[in-house]
Amino acid sequence: MSDVGSRIDAVEVGGRRIRYAETGRGPVLVHLAGGRGSALTPAHGLLARRFRVLAFEAPAPDGDASEALVTGLAAAMQRLGVESFDLIGSSASAAMAVALAARAHDRVRALVLESPPALDATRPDPALARGLGQLATPTLVLFGTEDTTVPADTGRRYKALVPGSHLVFVYAASHAIAADRPEAFVEVVSDFLERHEAFVVSRTRTVILP
Amino acid sequence: MKVSFFETARYLPPRPLPTEWPVASGAYDTEAGAAAYRGMIERLRHVEELGFDWISVSEHHYSPRILTPSPIVAAAFLAAHLRRITIALLGPIVPHSNPVRVAEELAMLDTMTEGRLVVGLLRGTANEAMTYDLNPEEARERTDEGMALILKAWTEPEPFGWQGRHFQYRTVSIWPRPRQQPHPPTFALGTSRESLTFAARHRLGCGVSYGPFEVMGRATAYYREQCARHGWTPAPEQIVYRANMLLADTDEAAHALLRAQSGEAPFSMRAGVRAAVAAVDARNIAGEARSAVVTGALPTTFIGSPDTVVEQVRRCRELTGCGVIDLSLHPPGSTDLGPLTRALELFGTKVLPRLREI
Repeated sequence: MSDVGSRIDAVEVGGRRIRYAETGRGPVLVHLAGGRGSALTPAHGLLARRFRVLAFEAPAPDGDASEALVTGLAAAMQRLGVESFDLIGSSASAAMAVALAARAHDRVRALVLESPPALDATRPDPALARGLGQLATPTLVLFGTEDTTVPADTGRRYKALVPGSHLVFVYAASHAIAADRPEAFVEVVSDFLERHEAFVVSRTRTVILP
Repeated sequence: MKVSFFETARYLPPRPLPTEWPVASGAYDTEAGAAAYRGMIERLRHVEELGFDWISVSEHHYSPRILTPSPIVAAAFLAAHLRRITIALLGPIVPHSNPVRVAEELAMLDTMTEGRLVVGLLRGTANEAMTYDLNPEEARERTDEGMALILKAWTEPEPFGWQGRHFQYRTVSIWPRPRQQPHPPTFALGTSRESLTFAARHRLGCGVSYGPFEVMGRATAYYREQCARHGWTPAPEQIVYRANMLLADTDEAAHALLRAQSGEAPFSMRAGVRAAVAAVDARNIAGEARSAVVTGALPTTFIGSPDTVVEQVRRCRELTGCGVIDLSLHPPGSTDLGPLTRALELFGTKVLPRLREI
């Protein structure tokens, strides 16, 4: 998938074996996928042009972000020689990404949540809400305009819980934003990871003819 | 001296507002918004009665401070409610918009108002560029091209194509054309060398704002030099100076009003955004780099009793050569209209009649 080569490996976390694929060169970008399996996607291939991408399968597909798992994952990053990194958490793994960013805030440069779980007011996830409240990391939250898995007001709830975070809707994308619109996903993610909140100042050129 | 009243549509928030720009639109109150526009009409009827020459509106986004994101819509609304006064559209932020659309809408307005329109075209500050995701580094060149295209669309009688750098059209032929021929009195607003040069080259007026008279005088002197280079001399009414004025019965009372202001801009951007905006800020005064102030309240250059203010206007005229002052009589964004109403009364009775001789 990537034009710069890739390899598959795994880390042991609390007796659990978590596979990851690695591709690309540059600053480290850790992606916690929403499901099992560590196959690289077209979006990873695009990100690999600017980042050393470590694409992990979901550490816990049920969204478990227990203390032990988070600690174990942080330690596993260290064993891989990864000091500081950017972090993307997709779908159910967004909870884990939030917990990791809250715990390792000195090492996670910026956080992207791709289609994170609904924040159900009646059945709140206390760990997730606590993690969001503790975030001191620049955070971007992405939702597809065609996402039918979470209530439409989920994005604004994240925005309210994480002061200074950014909410971006990706047009014509479902829950699987990166799969549906890889170029659109990678463009906004890369720009945010590079510039953080300054990414609101456009650098797009509109010259048609010199 | 002609006098213009800068109208910002005073939104009085029923609840405290967030302090960050862009201001979360969820904090907007629909009733307060409707009241702001109703109040605007009431106030401007009075402004018209007091004898002001112009009412001006401007384009600002994502904040309740100046509630006219589309000044063209605001101008059309005002024109329908007011009979005599000139509507000064100061103005559409040119690089944001389709220039042909701007030319069409302004021609409509000029025709609907029977020629009671004056137009200021401008680039807008770097933070305004963010609102429509415009690259601030391109704003100047898009403005120059957009203004040139607007002028061409107003004046060219045959359908024409436009092979620009930022804009491209195979055919343009607007209807209606402006009521005032060849076009409404038009100003290129801004203190930059680029803006002043454009104004001089196209025989447009210029507009400067908020800075001290001496500093703005350097900009207008540059403009007049450039006009001379292009073989013409601008009339005083082709130079507009926009400013804040704090007027009270006595100098002491006016300065007390100033002290009561916070000195900070009411809505500030996050530090990282502010830094990114400052990094691409290309503002200058006739070519002299201007500190990239993107926070902090705008200065108040007219302050005092009616006698004091009249003398300040006289000095402003001497130093800038302006023939029109466009006044914000109480800072936009304040939540109390009392001082504005009092200042307006005082200005209408004690200041305005005395400005006619200046």
